[in-house]
Amino acid sequence: MHIEENPNDVRSADVIVGIPSYNEAELISYPTQMANEGLIKYFGDKNSVIINCDNNSPDGTREAFMNTPTEVPKIYLSTPPGVRGKGNNLKNLFKKSCDLEAEAIIMVDADLKSITPRWIKNLGQPLFEDFGFVAPLYVRHKYDGTITNNIAYPMTRSIYGRRVRQPIGGDFGFSGKLAEIYLKQEDWTPAVAEFGIDIWMTTMAMCHGIPTCQSYMGRPKIHKPKDPGESLGPMFSQVVGTIFDIMTKKFAFWQEVRWSKPTAIFGFGLGEMEMPPPVEVNVERLYDEFQAGFTGYDALWKEILSTNVYKKLSEVRTLGFADFELPANLWAEILIDFAVAYKKSAHDREKIMESLIPLYYGRTCSFVIELEPMTIQQAEEVIEDQCIVFERSKPYLLKKWFDTK
Amino acid sequence: MKKILIVDDEEVIRMLYAEELDDEGYDVVTTGTGHGLIELVEQQKPDLIILDIKMAEHDGLDLLQEIRKEFYNIPVILCSAYSSFKGDLKSVAADYYVVKSADLSELKQKIKMALEGHIPSESSTE
Repeated sequence: MHIEENPNDVRSADVIVGIPSYNEAELISYPTQMANEGLIKYFGDKNSVIINCDNNSPDGTREAFMNTPTEVPKIYLSTPPGVRGKGNNLKNLFKKSCDLEAEAIIMVDADLKSITPRWIKNLGQPLFEDFGFVAPLYVRHKYDGTITNNIAYPMTRSIYGRRVRQPIGGDFGFSGKLAEIYLKQEDWTPAVAEFGIDIWMTTMAMCHGIPTCQSYMGRPKIHKPKDPGESLGPMFSQVVGTIFDIMTKKFAFWQEVRWSKPTAIFGFGLGEMEMPPPVEVNVERLYDEFQAGFTGYDALWKEILSTNVYKKLSEVRTLGFADFELPANLWAEILIDFAVAYKKSAHDREKIMESLIPLYYGRTCSFVIELEPMTIQQAEEVIEDQCIVFERSKPYLLKKWFDTK
Repeated sequence: MKKILIVDDEEVIRMLYAEELDDEGYDVVTTGTGHGLIELVEQQKPDLIILDIKMAEHDGLDLLQEIRKEFYNIPVILCSAYSSFKGDLKSVAADYYVVKSADLSELKQKIKMALEGHIPSESSTE
């Protein structure tokens, strides 16, 4: 069930730009204007529509969207009052895309401040050139996207074998056929209905062998970056919980994956690379949160982690802030042990996810300290090296996974 | 026997790599130019390509984009005397990036990884 406003009575569309939102009245007008310009400039020969899929926002998002002047027709879709979640919004978008028989769907975040019409082209055009899923490739500040850099990217790359640098980037392109595949899936967990949706979409594309490319956006993603120690919110457990859930369901696929493969890249020739704005991180707070984790979770960690991993973690605990380091190989093994514990223990999953947060803070603290003197390019090399460490840990993952069968 | 195509405009490098990789049991083909590269790949059907970046007449990163358009799944290892090209987003389309060195152990390791790389064609759990 959903609420719909379709003042132009749009009944079919070749290209859709979808903008999921909740309480984005202040910012949604800008990406809507850019979507309009992009659709007219680059897809002028096709029938297009811009759809805002919203959670019945009380702040006037609907009015802000519908009142934005555009030549391209607009549709407002909403979940019923009280139903929240980005995933629920996108489920409405998938359904509408199938109803309109769209060939290409482009989705962009409602809080984007750096989107240009070219983003619409770059996320959409590969869908008319045999690709079924398009992920964004943009330069981000070295401290922005720490869940991506330390969990989502290395884990999806090492487990499913495809290198998608921004698997939870939020700005994607996908074909109408893939929208149908998404709709047919029966594993819509509560986390997928919320912030787990981005990693779920990327991983489903990988597991279904959908031809994937990454598209260079030209400008950095400028939205509302957050200090990872200040406001983790429910996003962490929804994203990481979804990664662990999919691992359980797609074991037959990923057990055969060895190392990883790059994807094709689309969209170069956009001129000079623009640097992203800085992100401030309270690194002392990350360290304190890591240390505080031992007070509440030491017993549980001892249970979840293998003896050797727990021993190494105990060594890390003794390091002062000045010398602090939680190395990538230990981090990979911690995540593997947690994924296995999550698989084994269906009833304690909330507690397991909660106890992973201080360890994530520890890894983030170590990561920020290591990257402090580095350029964005050097930081990318550290992230690539970390991915190789995760790929090398695959035999450990397989052994642990089989041991719990 | 796995076939490796080396694309490098320096003859010394081609000879060194060819000799070392031949000793490792690979069938090695070389070319000193990017001219007609796509046709050469079609004709030779290599299992892996080692591609120089800074060549006199060609930019290896542009050649990489051409290779990816035609041959989505052939592993490509970028091999350059310069590490600075790692910062070019075009290099992301390569399987690996190796900085040239007299010690070929890293290159050999990356060749092994690239040739072992495997992704099932689609989900077998559906």
